[in-house]
Amino acid sequence: MTYRSTFSSTLLTSTVLLSALILVGSAAAAPKKMAAYPKLGVTTGKSGGNYTLALGDSPQSLMYYGVIDNNLGLIAQQLFDGLVEFNLDTYKLEPALAESWTISPDGKAYTFKLRQGVKWSDGEAFNADDVVFTYQQLIMNPEARAGDAASFMLGGKPITVEKVDAGTVRFNLPQPSPTFLLQLRNFIMPQHKLGKYKGADVNNAWPTTTPPADIVGTGPFKLQGYTPGQKVSLVRNPNYWKVDSAGNKLPYLASLDFLIIRDPQAQVASFLASNIDQINISGAQFPDLKQKEVAGAAFKVIRSQALFGSPPFLAYNFDAADPALAKIFSDTRFRRAMQTAINRPRIIDTVYNSLATLPGHGVAPVNTAFYVKTTAQLGKFDLSAAGKALDALGLKDTDGDGIRNISKGKNLEFDLTYGTDSSVYPQMATILQNDFKQIGVKVNLKGILSSKLFSTGMSGDWQAILAAFGDQPDPELRKPIWQPGGALYYWHRSLQPAKDGETPNLAKMQPWEKQIYDIFDKGSVTTDKTQRKALYARWQNLFAQNLPVTPIAKPDNIGVISNKYGNYIYNLGVIPGYNPVPLVYQK
Amino acid sequence: MLIFALRRILGMIPTLLIISAVCFTVIKLQPGSFTDQYLEDPRFTKATVAAITRQLGLDQPAIVQYGRWLWGVITRLDFGFSFASNAPVITQIGERLGWTVFIALLTLLVSWIVAVPLGIYTAFNRHGVAASVANFLGYVGLAVPDFLLALLLVVLTLRLGSRNVGGLFSPEMIDAPWSWARLGDLLAHLWIPVLAVGLEGVAGLMRQMRASMLDVLSQDYIRTARAKGAAQRTVIWRHAVRNAINPLISLAGLSLPTLISGTIIISIVMNLPTIGPLLYESLLNKDQYTALTLLMLSAVLLLIGNLLADLVLAWVDPRVRYS
Repeated sequence: MTYRSTFSSTLLTSTVLLSALILVGSAAAAPKKMAAYPKLGVTTGKSGGNYTLALGDSPQSLMYYGVIDNNLGLIAQQLFDGLVEFNLDTYKLEPALAESWTISPDGKAYTFKLRQGVKWSDGEAFNADDVVFTYQQLIMNPEARAGDAASFMLGGKPITVEKVDAGTVRFNLPQPSPTFLLQLRNFIMPQHKLGKYKGADVNNAWPTTTPPADIVGTGPFKLQGYTPGQKVSLVRNPNYWKVDSAGNKLPYLASLDFLIIRDPQAQVASFLASNIDQINISGAQFPDLKQKEVAGAAFKVIRSQALFGSPPFLAYNFDAADPALAKIFSDTRFRRAMQTAINRPRIIDTVYNSLATLPGHGVAPVNTAFYVKTTAQLGKFDLSAAGKALDALGLKDTDGDGIRNISKGKNLEFDLTYGTDSSVYPQMATILQNDFKQIGVKVNLKGILSSKLFSTGMSGDWQAILAAFGDQPDPELRKPIWQPGGALYYWHRSLQPAKDGETPNLAKMQPWEKQIYDIFDKGSVTTDKTQRKALYARWQNLFAQNLPVTPIAKPDNIGVISNKYGNYIYNLGVIPGYNPVPLVYQK
Repeated sequence: MLIFALRRILGMIPTLLIISAVCFTVIKLQPGSFTDQYLEDPRFTKATVAAITRQLGLDQPAIVQYGRWLWGVITRLDFGFSFASNAPVITQIGERLGWTVFIALLTLLVSWIVAVPLGIYTAFNRHGVAASVANFLGYVGLAVPDFLLALLLVVLTLRLGSRNVGGLFSPEMIDAPWSWARLGDLLAHLWIPVLAVGLEGVAGLMRQMRASMLDVLSQDYIRTARAKGAAQRTVIWRHAVRNAINPLISLAGLSLPTLISGTIIISIVMNLPTIGPLLYESLLNKDQYTALTLLMLSAVLLLIGNLLADLVLAWVDPRVRYS
């Protein structure tokens, strides 16, 4: 596939020399023209104004590849760009810093033609050295804490990157990779500022005390100042390389501020006080704000279906310490019986205030590229059917205390671990506990901090857990989660290989787990679109039938935006290559 | 006096050593590791965990980690590296220390200015209506958690159309140079936390002041002073208050560590850049050197507060002598 921006050559010849030179200059600068996005309600904006957003905490550093930090990610997204980016509407990959690319017939060489005339915010020219530097020294650097070296290893061999000429870069892959282009949304950093950092030193580059002028990027904004614990201010990057559909320079905004506000309620208070102009809220915060909107407040609450995001699920520990529990937890019939006792409509109604939909199985329903409709497999909430299914498994109440027995004298009861400091888990856990009780299954609630859910999951020291894993546009990107034996496949830890990168314990896999394992292995080297879709369709069906984990709901995205601004598109958070902020304008 | 102070300071060293060892052990006993918080991030792989663990020295035995930290502190006053903020712990604390001390002193001042006169007043007018009202309000202040009071005040200011609902400054004032307008903006923001935290301490201080006032008023020397015909004002301020305030000085000394831990919740709710939330976060995240250093700072402040209280006592109370 090749993308190329075109310009009229007749214009060039028919004008006087001076203006021809200017035209050549601007043509060489080849700014990217943003699509019109009528579906998203994007119109031509006007230049100027300030926009203030909330940041959950102070950034830990200003070096994106040095710390894993969402707050820095939100800022970095405005300071840097990748070679490719998402179309804001269709999520298809488009040119960004790379103007066009070609893929060799064997799918192993990707050649990128870089956008001509792009300048860093300090005026230096952007070129192939920056790209090679970023990939070699930052992204593929195993010592960089927030690098992504693992994604640049295919089948145990590294991907290499080379400079062809000042405007061309080539990546050589040891084997074809269907998701390689997606990885190229990574932000490109300036070699002329960071070139001296090697190995683990990159983690210490650009601390938060760095003078703002040293933080140089190609993004829509550049850093102006940072007041510890309070505010990060950005101003328009005059060298930005994008124009709107009418050809006006982007970004529209003159400045962009991030106020550091830790507490979500304090963020809402700040929004209501007009100190910040946009926030993302949860379903629990929705009614209050919607009421204010209806009562005439100067903001809008906008709901949209989510592609990314973390839908919660219920997981049972296949390797629970109690062998009787481990045995029934790893029995697919048990998990399916229990699914019938999960009242999803009620959870969506009460926990999410109806701002959620039925979940997919590893793929968000709005993801048209991969989603397969598995709604029928979710079953209907039916306690008596659940009870009968458990009866059929021989799990009956033999001692008459109202709780089913696993064996003689031993009740079917387990701990459900959930996050107490979340707006959804506590209610969800109580609903599950109540409904399960109706069918004679005793659940003991065990609250922990939400931030500890994953580590608890990985530790294996739990029986059942309410947790969430993020959806991504391509299942391959979440392979460590969903492939049995993967690094994050924590409900069946005994499949894990003894050492990283080795083959997991295939013999211990249940037949359906082995099938899913093979699908992911095949999916990661298959490049044909239709074949991939078919593979992952099979996976979703296997997932829905066998329920390695039981998905509960897919929460919507809800954003609140002041009426002062136009062209608002829901801000997904830190999704490299998806940045609608340059289009926002102050009315 | 000097020798006394010196001896006390030297005595702190073994105490602090023991405290640091205990704190480190407790931090290490927490389950999980620093890297847990990132598990949700797609960029976080096993190799990354291994690299970070090695870079941070977390692959070493705990005793080695502690030893290195201690050695750094002793030889170079290096209190380690904050994992979470990727900066020396000292920088981290330094960024927030100024505001923390400022806010803490302001609230301490407010609670003393309100509590001490009220305590004296209620001691002299034990059964009056005004004293009962003051007592009642003091108890309410004690019973209502500071953050709740702050939230109520926030709702109130929002209702009144004010934009000052958190933080230290209005957004446009945050990085402005100092001016009268900026100072005014600061005070317009600070009154909520200062009032909320300050009032919480009022009841306790007031009761303490009242009790020790009553104690002192029944002493012989007060009777003597009165019998010698000293004016009421002289009796109260020269003799009674000066003696009655002793226990409060000890209390003030003990309240130094609250600089760090006293305002955690309100700092989070009101979005103040103080040390409290840093301690909270570092303990949650197992950012061990930050947590350890802050706990040590807290211990040092407690010891210093005690020492200062003793020294001030010697100065205020002629009966106390350390030489």
